[in-house]
Amino acid sequence: MIGNDLVDLKLANIQSNWQRKGFLDKLFTPKEQEYILNADNPFETVWLLWSMKESAYKAYLQIYGDRFFSPKKLACSLLSKNKGTVLINNSLFFAESEVNEHFIHSISFSEKYNNNFLTDCFRFEHSDFKTQNNQTYQKVLEAFASELKLPISLLNIRKNTVGIPQLFQDKMLHKKSFSLTHHGQFGAFCIRN
Amino acid sequence: MKKEDLIATLKKIVKPYIQNEDAFENLSENTDFIKDLKINSANLVDVILDVEDEFDIIVDNESMEKMLTVKAALEIIEAKLSEK
Repeated sequence: MIGNDLVDLKLANIQSNWQRKGFLDKLFTPKEQEYILNADNPFETVWLLWSMKESAYKAYLQIYGDRFFSPKKLACSLLSKNKGTVLINNSLFFAESEVNEHFIHSISFSEKYNNNFLTDCFRFEHSDFKTQNNQTYQKVLEAFASELKLPISLLNIRKNTVGIPQLFQDKMLHKKSFSLTHHGQFGAFCIRN
Repeated sequence: MKKEDLIATLKKIVKPYIQNEDAFENLSENTDFIKDLKINSANLVDVILDVEDEFDIIVDNESMEKMLTVKAALEIIEAKLSEK
């Protein structure tokens, strides 16, 4: 399974105050807090770890389907500046992140790192949440249409009861693992081949 | 505190974080913070910290884990208030 998560750094800086009392304690394990407090750029490390957790949780949900809000149960270990693992209830996920001045985009895999996936990041012109959501769906549908060599009109995406987006071709469920994300000015998706 | 008052207070707390006005207007016990109100999951922790401040309670990890809906939040707040 594959999951991805994008954090728009400019918006994260406005939406959340990571230095708020209790914030780090509720979201991060002691080890993760150490990464943050020892980092050259603690703000960036907060959102790197957060996007790793979110991307792994999205892959986790596709396997287990039990929703919960317990960020500390998604335990990150960093292997390098942009690679790490996330342990969730005894399942290990492998995360890889792109970090630039605008955003952090993390992709997690349920088995091991693999290059057999398709991903794309894009910038939105509109800041409206609904429009961005629709545009992200449209982008991934276009990718599926070109990959499956099908007209886009035959494809649609619906979320299941747990909130996982699923691809349908003429009402038939496709088994492909994919993941959508958008935040602030940016959106992204990834599809496992 | 009466249930209507609890819901009203909770509504005031979540307002700055919601990204779906319609779902917020129609907020009920069955409303899901993430799926319906589209609250950013990092902001869900702000909701929880605000709940702690507002009601002067501590939401432990075990309670926090379930706090995905208005109903669950109300149950947790009521339980914590009764322990005081």
